[in-house]
Amino acid sequence: MNAVQSPLTRAAPRRRPIPWATLLSAFGLILVTVIYLLPVGYMLLTSVKSSLEIAVNPLGLPRSLSFENYIDVFNRMNYLRAVFNTIFITAVSSIGIVLVSALAAYPLARVQTRWSSVAYQYFSFGLMIPSFVVIIPLYSLMRSVGLLNTYAGLILIYIAFNIPFAVFFFTSFIRNLPKELEEAGLIDGCTPITVFWYIVLPLLRPVIGTVMMFITLSIWNDFLLPLVFLFDANSRTIMVNVYSFLGYYGFSPTTLFPAAVLGSLPLLVFFFFLQRQIIAGITAGSVKG
Amino acid sequence: MRMRSQTALLFLMPALLLYSLIVVYPTLNGLYLSFTNSTGSARGAEFIGLTNYERMVRDVSGFLKPLMTTLIYAALVTAGQTVIGLGLALWMGKLPRLRDAARVALFTPGMLSLIIVGFVWSFIYNPLSGGLNLLLTSLGLELWTRSWLGEPGLALPAVALVNIWMFAGHSAAIFLANYLSIPSELLESATLEGASGWQRFWYIEFPLLAPALTINTALTLIGGLRVFELPYVMTRGGPGDATKVLNMEIFNQAFGQSNYGYGSALTVALLLIILSLTLVQNSYLRKRELNT
Repeated sequence: MNAVQSPLTRAAPRRRPIPWATLLSAFGLILVTVIYLLPVGYMLLTSVKSSLEIAVNPLGLPRSLSFENYIDVFNRMNYLRAVFNTIFITAVSSIGIVLVSALAAYPLARVQTRWSSVAYQYFSFGLMIPSFVVIIPLYSLMRSVGLLNTYAGLILIYIAFNIPFAVFFFTSFIRNLPKELEEAGLIDGCTPITVFWYIVLPLLRPVIGTVMMFITLSIWNDFLLPLVFLFDANSRTIMVNVYSFLGYYGFSPTTLFPAAVLGSLPLLVFFFFLQRQIIAGITAGSVKG
Repeated sequence: MRMRSQTALLFLMPALLLYSLIVVYPTLNGLYLSFTNSTGSARGAEFIGLTNYERMVRDVSGFLKPLMTTLIYAALVTAGQTVIGLGLALWMGKLPRLRDAARVALFTPGMLSLIIVGFVWSFIYNPLSGGLNLLLTSLGLELWTRSWLGEPGLALPAVALVNIWMFAGHSAAIFLANYLSIPSELLESATLEGASGWQRFWYIEFPLLAPALTINTALTLIGGLRVFELPYVMTRGGPGDATKVLNMEIFNQAFGQSNYGYGSALTVALLLIILSLTLVQNSYLRKRELNT
């Protein structure tokens, strides 16, 4: 808060002699931002126009709201099913990632031996491997163990792919936690696993939130992995569903724009409510080094 | 705290197993496949040494041209996103009252998915009924209307522009976070000493934004080299092969033609290119950071 306010109060006296320049600059920034968002506005406005109005009034504000295209697209593209699939996969994957990675991070943060730093580096290696390098051999592997085109297969892939980043996050967070609580727990007769479950995991809550946020963003908008590993019409995720729906029905604006809005809406709502945390999470750490 | 090795291993086991099976083993397997003629069938993959790599360096339409296209694309995106992101960040930094709202607004396109943005912009670029040509016409600029995705020389920059539009807000947010961490005394004293706007930018702001510049160019460069979804949705690699990037050729080799061996060799090549370019970029920019 202080960081936000202090430049404002300090800058004010310097700017006072030329308020019109600041005003002009502010007006310019607003204009640029509005132009920047024009494609999003175009998407929203066109989605509520009838096909007739798209033809006669393609750029203006809609004269009447038409939701028939929405209802039509909603029914034809099996929307709720795809949203449910994506939410289910995201939820199970993120719980899995958090549990598996926090379990691994605990000894990595607390045990200082040679093998623990080797294990830590072994996990960090995964941070450098982009998913497309793994896709071809992983496809054969999943097919041979019968996990191709199953929820379990895609969920296991998401868990494994996110382990390096989550272990990295959790380990550095646990290192900064005081050890006294855990020691007190052990003296009182807790086993390591109960110490982990009742003492360490609750303390991790803020960083678990950040990890889950990243996972939600990346899984919701992911396309390549579900395209390759989960292609059955009923189990598809939302982006594969949008892709195959629009690929099939072509580029007609009356299907394209409602489908685009429906596909973006859940994540935009998510972004709207968590904008501060999301922007902070994505920019944090990047400028400290 | 003391923890017995067995307990520690037990804690590590689930992560180690999943990560080794699903990330490490396939990575090594992919490296091996790149030396074989595997087509994905259970048997029949033979070790053929460097044959795939020899074929690759002579394969103009399947490797050299897509590689060139990918590099140009990554360069366009990195340059465009960095310059626009920096400009927007400095602009926002000087207007504290608008800062938060503008940052959220500019961030929004990056929250949409590449697939949806690809479809929407394909329509915006549509030569007949698309929003861009209609807008130009209504502004009296008919001469500027184009078949944006239909002309070979124009399609790649048109796709790159969409990528820049999506993520310039991300770059701006990172530059802005860095800008706000600069002590305001530094900027004020420069103004008091009579530095012009340009001098202030070039001698003070820009050098102090070096950490954000390093991370931004690294992120956009890696993202640009890994491009797949936008051209896959918008152009399918066309017109001709003007927008066929490496990942599209990899996807086509692997899942279109079942050439797992050759496809794996292409992924190994792309990985090596990404690693070496980011290494060069990083060491250059880190050195620059230290000098300032």
